[in-house]
Amino acid sequence: MSSILDVEGLGKAFGGVQAVQDVSFSVEQGTICSLIGPNGAGKTTVLNMISGLVPPTTGRVSFERRDITNSPAYRMASRGLGRTFQNLAVFAHATVVDNILVGMHARLSADPLTAAVYWGRVRNEEIRARRRVEEIIDFLEIQNVRDLPVGTLSYGLQKRVELGRALAIEPRFLLLDEMVSGMNQEETEDIARFILDIKEQLNVTVLMVEHDMGIVMDISDQVVVLEFGRKIGDGTPTQVSQDPRVMAAYLGGAGEAA
Amino acid sequence: MRAGHFKQSYLELVALTDSGAVKAWTAMLLVGCMALPWVASSYVLALATTILITAIGVVGLNLLTGVCGLISLGHAGFLAIGAYTAAVLAVDYAVPIIPGIICGGLLAAALSLLVGIPSLRLKGLYLAITTLAFTIIVTHSILNLDWLTRGSAGLSLPAADLLGISLAGKVSFYYFSLAACVLFVAAAMNVMRSRIGRAFVAIRDHDIAAEMMGINLVAYKLMAFALSAFFTGAAGALAAYQVRYINVDSFAVLVSIEALAMIIVGGLGSIAGAILGTIFMSLLPEFTRWLFDALGSGLTETFSTRALEVRGLIYGVVIMTVLRVQPDGLIGLWRDAKRLWSNWPFRY
Repeated sequence: MSSILDVEGLGKAFGGVQAVQDVSFSVEQGTICSLIGPNGAGKTTVLNMISGLVPPTTGRVSFERRDITNSPAYRMASRGLGRTFQNLAVFAHATVVDNILVGMHARLSADPLTAAVYWGRVRNEEIRARRRVEEIIDFLEIQNVRDLPVGTLSYGLQKRVELGRALAIEPRFLLLDEMVSGMNQEETEDIARFILDIKEQLNVTVLMVEHDMGIVMDISDQVVVLEFGRKIGDGTPTQVSQDPRVMAAYLGGAGEAA
Repeated sequence: MRAGHFKQSYLELVALTDSGAVKAWTAMLLVGCMALPWVASSYVLALATTILITAIGVVGLNLLTGVCGLISLGHAGFLAIGAYTAAVLAVDYAVPIIPGIICGGLLAAALSLLVGIPSLRLKGLYLAITTLAFTIIVTHSILNLDWLTRGSAGLSLPAADLLGISLAGKVSFYYFSLAACVLFVAAAMNVMRSRIGRAFVAIRDHDIAAEMMGINLVAYKLMAFALSAFFTGAAGALAAYQVRYINVDSFAVLVSIEALAMIIVGGLGSIAGAILGTIFMSLLPEFTRWLFDALGSGLTETFSTRALEVRGLIYGVVIMTVLRVQPDGLIGLWRDAKRLWSNWPFRY
């Protein structure tokens, strides 16, 4: 196996606050890796640095062996890197179909002039995109809401649309930021099943930030633990859950952090 | 037998409409517009021409403000740039009408990048103020560059002709404006259903997510400005040819506010809404004048001596009423009516 994502010595300081410090890890092709840690550990900051939304102060990120450290966020989609957000980040006034179509932006080619004419190539690629959207809608089982504005859907469905939008990028690597927070047991299990399907059927590598230990321990191949911006654990779910430093971070008590 | 409304190909899904009723109504509307010169007085025809031209500019403003979420009070400036470009080209260089309109649109689009660049960092009220400054800068420049624009004296345009047909008459110019309006509206509808329209909506609803979907925010915000300014600049050029005399007074800040009122009343983000809003707000002064006439002579006098103030008052009242009672505008009213009609006797 070879690694698809390598993070080396990543650090970020917001003014005097060292949010992330010297974090390194690699994610293997075709696996599910979870990034966990207590609140304020810097998980989302790491995700933002990988996806190009926040420039790191130190360190580098390579995706498929290519350095993407200072590459702008809008380039990530065409590189094959998709993501969802911690809080709902859907386009609330657009329909489910249109939301997913936005995900295909980087795969389409219309410019203002050809779009205004809407003939030939532009029309054909729209038809292709529309077909692809139906495949994603089938995959995520949201057929019955496809024409509704996303803002009118339940929280769980909105998250599912967001996942669909990220899949429309046709990613090889997917960053998921707290997919199941605020979901009930049934919705959480649905999402877990979708993430496993994404990995196995679509052959996408997944890096997810997650607080729900159930889903982390059940479906991850690798778990990376952060605390106060530093990495304190990295390994299989079993290894990590028995690591004394991780136990100290989560349960308190007589760890060496004391 | 088909037991519902189904689509059988992906082509039908990307089509503008698959409804026979919509096609029939559109055809009837077009036929009605074509037939108008036979039944309407020359005053009504001139009003209709103005509405057609205004609709082009307002649809343009809607692309920027309604669809992409960037407020602009600079559209009076773009209108002025379009009008003066066409006028100067026609008077000094004898450029025909169609290249004149295209040049007017293109120059407005190019100069819109000047306001577009601050828009990359500004939102809401701050952007409104910046664009307001743009309108003021444009009108001042027009006043002070008298070697080009004739300053406060204004510019008179020659009558245009198109492929040997004179557009001097009201009827021929009406048809020309109708064709232009149909073309521009069709272009806007096509842009809206392409990846560009979707990108504008995405930027309005959640710009960071839009960026992760591969949308270059800098490029697309500037594109929204340029596209919008092109529409409005072209409308300005057409307006200059309609009135055949332009003066800087026709492009005061109030024009920008009127245009904003039109898209708010019609329904933000919808092309049909922008057109409905244009028609409604253009007919509103006519309607109030008729009402004042009916109510008595004293009011007629007030209306004619204080026309501008009365108009301002009416716009204010209408905007407030719409925002309070029907925030989705006239198009929202239409959608509600349609839902009621198709679901009756059930509530939903």
